[in-house]
Amino acid sequence: MHRYITRRLLALPFVIVVVSILVFSMTRLGGTTIGPYLEPGMTDEEIAALEERFNLDEPVPMQYLAWLGGVIRGELGWSAVAASPVVDVFRSRIPASFELGVAASLWAVTLGIGLGTFSARRRNRLSDQLTSVFAVGGASMPTFWLGIVLLIIFWSYLGWFPHGRSDFRVWASIPHPTNFYVIDSILAGSWAGLKDAVWHLVLPALTLGYGAVGIVTRMMRSSLLEEMGKDYVDAARARGLPERLVVRRHARRNAFIPTVTVIGLSIGIMFEGTVVVETIFGWPGLGSWMADSVLSGDQATTLAFVIFTSILFLCINLLVDVTYGYLDRRVVLRKT
Amino acid sequence: MWFQTVRTETAPRVLRDTPIRVKARRLWATTREVFSRGSTAFGATLIAAMLTMAIFAPLIVDENPRGAYQMPRDLTAVAVPPGTEGHPLGTTRLGGDVLYGIVWGARLSLQLSLYVVAGAVLMGLIVGCTAGIVGGKVDAFLMRTVDVFLSIPTLVFPLAIAAILGPSFVNIVVALAAIMWARYARIIRSQILQVREEDYVDAARTIGDSKFGIIRKDILPNSLTPVAVQATLDMGHAVLLGATLAFIGLAVAGQAEWGTLVSEGQADIIAGRWWTSAFPGLMVFLWALSFNLVGDGLRDVLDPRTEGR
Repeated sequence: MHRYITRRLLALPFVIVVVSILVFSMTRLGGTTIGPYLEPGMTDEEIAALEERFNLDEPVPMQYLAWLGGVIRGELGWSAVAASPVVDVFRSRIPASFELGVAASLWAVTLGIGLGTFSARRRNRLSDQLTSVFAVGGASMPTFWLGIVLLIIFWSYLGWFPHGRSDFRVWASIPHPTNFYVIDSILAGSWAGLKDAVWHLVLPALTLGYGAVGIVTRMMRSSLLEEMGKDYVDAARARGLPERLVVRRHARRNAFIPTVTVIGLSIGIMFEGTVVVETIFGWPGLGSWMADSVLSGDQATTLAFVIFTSILFLCINLLVDVTYGYLDRRVVLRKT
Repeated sequence: MWFQTVRTETAPRVLRDTPIRVKARRLWATTREVFSRGSTAFGATLIAAMLTMAIFAPLIVDENPRGAYQMPRDLTAVAVPPGTEGHPLGTTRLGGDVLYGIVWGARLSLQLSLYVVAGAVLMGLIVGCTAGIVGGKVDAFLMRTVDVFLSIPTLVFPLAIAAILGPSFVNIVVALAAIMWARYARIIRSQILQVREEDYVDAARTIGDSKFGIIRKDILPNSLTPVAVQATLDMGHAVLLGATLAFIGLAVAGQAEWGTLVSEGQADIIAGRWWTSAFPGLMVFLWALSFNLVGDGLRDVLDPRTEGR
């Protein structure tokens, strides 16, 4: 087990380097990336100085090495969109995205597991079929559209929920040591701040999480059904255990194992989804910044974001595999 | 092919039947099984309706003389609500007929999904076959590459490619196919490894079929099932992802494309004009939903591993 994890950890940097080479060469495919740095009225010398500053006068492999060197030193380049170093923007924008992601995951996982269990226990009844429709809907729902529909109904017509991340006045009334709005308002003991934070989170979190609800529900249902057909479940029933406990204590524990995989997967997908959801809800996180950068040809940001997401995906996958090993003692990870 | 029929049918029947008849009957039985499920039948009906709409688009709404996929501009009816004379689903801020966008957008979506899936399958076929047949170091190298592609996020990566290539329909197709091929490569390779151990492939080898002949006649047709299931699901994913890219702004502005229309309709929400974004988005949802339903149905019937789920 430990050897397996070590091996995977050792392979991780290689995969990341391959991904970065791939993405880096892609960003250079369209020619020079100086575009977003230019300003009207620049002289040739100024442009040449810019090119030198961003290493754009060198051949692409050298540019890559320069970039890689920067990454090792903790620099990711200069974001033209945010007009500041990519690393700084990352640091200031991660909390907003993270908060949104956690809120979305929380409701997605809780509801997904709950609905999956509910649906498996009422197999082929109407309630099961309705749940299935809801779940497949999640997998087919365009995030951008769901967000807009929710905005039309709950913001534009009913006015129940707001747009954006915070009410400016409430946001300004409390200090922000962590930049996590919810945590900050709890630290400041501000009831108004907490209310404002949660109120703003509802719609974007619902939008971002719906896809994952579908995935988790379907997986939970199918793996629970598979477990319910096994002998140990019959044995538990034969011992006279009430059905509720058979499901909760026996079958559901084992059904969690495959579900963990899709939970990991859907957290990765949710992170990508922030690009769309943050754009729609005016959420000041990584995703909306990425969307802006992509449109204005800010390659330093695009590169950093794609690689960051890939690393996140890879780490989640690794984590899932390890969790798998601990949850399921039958899994013997190959020792080669 | 002949050996397969011997494997699955009882002998006397085979003697009576031509292989084509047997195949047709099996196909019919499978089709009936697939569509006996309500959700699959529903999905198939939806697909049929949308395909009809895509194919007969010129009969439903007259083609825009400035270009079929350009939104027409009716400046006499700007931002009118649904139900207006001549504009049953209303118009956009620029006088674009929403119905036109939906009908011709169906055509564009059909093209998009067909090109993306065809490109991905072709690429996957080449890589998967090479890996499965050549084996050894080539196989190891190609499969690690596939692993890398499967570990890259499916929205952000095409987003980056499309952004670099510039906003256009073709670039969205390229960007999506560039990420979707990896799964096919893996499916086809694993099928080849599995199928080539089967007796009927041995038999073909024994009677002296060439390597290429065996691949074409025995291995590929038997790898078809999982590829077909994945392709059906991807027909939906392609449009979903393509519309998302278009929504973010990577399609040509002013086109009759569902994602673009939703994006352009976004600004109308504050003004209370819900129809410009609601209808085209609903189409993306229905498109993805129907292919997901049919894909799931196909998988349940064709893939014995998920039986009873």
